[in-house]
Order: sequence, then C-alpha cells, then structure tokens
Amino acid sequence: MNLTRSLGLVSALSLAITAWLVFYWAPLEQAMGFVQKIMYIHVPSVLVCYLAFFLSFMASIGYLWKRKESYDIFAYASAEIGVVFCAITLITGSIWGRPTWNTYWTWDARLTTTLILFLVFVGYLLLRRFVVYSEQQARFAAVIAIIGFMDIPLIHQAVTWWRTLHQSSTMFSMKKGVIDDPLKWMLYVSMVAFYIFFAYLLAKRVELEKKERAFKRQLANLE
Amino acid sequence: MIREVWTILQKDLRLELRRSENFIAMFFFAFIILLIFSFALPSEGENHQLIAPGVYWVTFLLSGILGLSKNFALEKEMGCMEALLISPVSRGSIFLGKMLGTLIFMVLMQGILIPVFALIFYTPAIEFFWDLLMLSCATALGFSALGTLLSGLTTDVRFKEILLPILLFPLLIPLLLASVEVMASILAGQGIQGELDWLKLLIGFDFIFLIAAYLTFDFVMEL
Repeated sequence: MNLTRSLGLVSALSLAITAWLVFYWAPLEQAMGFVQKIMYIHVPSVLVCYLAFFLSFMASIGYLWKRKESYDIFAYASAEIGVVFCAITLITGSIWGRPTWNTYWTWDARLTTTLILFLVFVGYLLLRRFVVYSEQQARFAAVIAIIGFMDIPLIHQAVTWWRTLHQSSTMFSMKKGVIDDPLKWMLYVSMVAFYIFFAYLLAKRVELEKKERAFKRQLANLE
Repeated sequence: MIREVWTILQKDLRLELRRSENFIAMFFFAFIILLIFSFALPSEGENHQLIAPGVYWVTFLLSGILGLSKNFALEKEMGCMEALLISPVSRGSIFLGKMLGTLIFMVLMQGILIPVFALIFYTPAIEFFWDLLMLSCATALGFSALGTLLSGLTTDVRFKEILLPILLFPLLIPLLLASVEVMASILAGQGIQGELDWLKLLIGFDFIFLIAAYLTFDFVMEL
C-alpha cells in the first residue's frame, strides 16, 4: 500500500471521527448555539488555505532557484488546493456571519484580506491556464506566487486601517476563558484532520500532475 | 548601469513622442471615463467631495492599464524583444528603463487629468493641484513598478488584455486604498501629510514592489 493511499484512508477516518465528535461530543456554545459548529470547518479551512499558499510561495522560490520541475508541480498543486479551501472559508464564513453578525458579508479587515488573497490566487490559476504548458509557464506562475504572497502583509495592513469588525483570533490567544476547553480541543482535532486531508489532496494532485505532464510529453514526442 | 537605463528610457520616450496617438488615446479614454462617472453619479452637492477620490483613482487605474498593455507591444514588432534581450544590457536595466518610461508617461497624464477632473467633476480639486500631483507621482511609481513587471509577463500570453487587470488589480488594492485616503485628506484641506500612516504605507508599497519587481524581472525575461 503506497503512501498516498494510506494518507487517504487516514484522512477519511479522521474526518469521520471529527464529524462524529463535532455533533455528539462537543458541547453547544452558549451564545451562538448550534450555528457555532461551523467553526470546525471554517477555522481549519482557513489555516489549510494559509499553509497551502505559503507552501506554494516557498516552492516557487525553490523553483526559480533550483529549476526543478517537481517544485513547480508542488507549487501548482498547493496553490490549487489553497484556492479551494479559501473558497470554503469564504462560503462557510458567510453562512456563519448571517446568524451571528446579521449579515452575509461585511467589509471587515480579515474577510477582505481573504477575499483579495482568493482573487490573487485565482489570477495565478488563470495564468497557468492561459500560458501554454512550458518552462515559461512555470517561471511566470512562480513570479506571481511570490509577488502575491509578498503583498499579503500590505493588503492586511491596508484593510485593517480601513475597517475592522472580525473577532480577534481566539485559538492562539493565551488568555484563559476566551474559548472553553472542550471547544478548543475540538478545534484542534478538526485542524489535525483537515491538515491530514490537505496532505492527502496535495499528494494526489502532485501525482496526477506528474502523470499528466508525462503523458503530454509522450504525445508531443509522437507528433 | 545608469547609462543603460537612460538609453532604454530615451528610446521609449522617443518612440512615444513620435507616435503620440497612444498618449492621446489614453487621455481621451480617461476623459470619457470621467464623463461617464459624471452622468452615472448624482450631480453636485456635498457628496462629490466624498466620492471624488474614488472616481479619480478608478479613472487612473482604468486608463493606466491601457498604457501598460502598450508597454511591451512595441517591442513585439520585428523581433525587437529578442534584440533587446541579447544586447549587453542587464534585465534590471531594461526593467528600470521601461518602468521610468511608464512613470513619466503616467505623471504627465495626471498633470493634464487633474485640471480636467476639476473642470468636469470636482471644481475645488484644482486648488490642491501640486499636492495631488505629488501624490500621483507616489501612486504612479508603485503602479508602474508592478505594472511593468506584469505587462512584461503577459506579453506573450493569450487573452492578455483580460489577464493583466485580473492579475494586477488585486495586487494594487493596498496602493489604491492608500491613495484614496491620502487624496481625501488633501481634499479636506489637511495637505498631503494629513494621513501620514497611509502615506507611509503608500511609499512602503512603492519601495517593496520596486525592489521585488526589479529582482524578479530577470525570471520573466528569459529567452
């Protein structure tokens, strides 16, 4: 049994356990009630999304430096999964926002930053589509990933000054009592499950992209 | 290096001056956008001071992108790009020359656009002409640094007309926000230093992306 498949099994199992725990073990949050359970998708997704974009950024630097195709494939796969999780974050965030903030969307700093991040990396994927596959595509995409990632602190600063409403990050806050222990542990569990799931998706996507490129090369050789 | 930059800048400016239709087209495009804004938004009244910065910078972005996409189009004719790349000039110098060309172009354009803006949209703007022009220089610097990099990147790409704004605009959001805020403070009579934090962010953006674009331009322009 290879690594990818075992990762897949582990992630399926851990996601199932997480789902069960979320509904049967984790206590109801007092102020928000049942709706709050969406946090166990929302927060891990955004963390996966940040990690994915960060990995894509690192792999892009690696590619420009070493020029190994595997770095390029890794950057591509990671960015693609990042965009998917970014979309999940935005959607679950809106669903959560409706009952708690009484609005689906608000121009809060963190929401806006995430949305812009999403747009930057959608642009990245579009660029990948529009440039015919070649070493050129890899270089261009790497430049966009690097520039885009460097822009994040600036975007964040700008929109923070612009406006702020989002609750500050509860998970990493050291103060006691901001978030109850069972809720916190539940969040950690779902985070781990999501990271395993991410690792599985990444491995699978890298595998797929490698096969696709090998196949395209064979086709090009035939012609 | 300064000599190399100067040579490229001179070449670009000379070409632009000879075929001034690009400048004229850009100016009239900006003019038409201002006109459309005047028709689309409620006329006169208190509101105009509030929306004036937004209207001005949107006009700037839309007309600027037109100038950018022309930036490398000139070089495509008769293999100029290849000639430029094999000439004994560093990529960084090519970038700086091109960037300065765009910058001068944009600032000249703003010099004409501000009076026109005052004439047809918000009359008091003309009193702050020099402050606005200074702000325009700062904004145009960041715009042309990132813009030159991305227009170099999209020269050979399919659908580049659509891809360039998709990639560029999200990255420019901090720049746009800062420019809008600083311009609002200028129009409120507080001078260019009225919003010092935003001005710092604006200048920080300029320098970060000037350096980042200078460094990554090498990878975009490989033969």
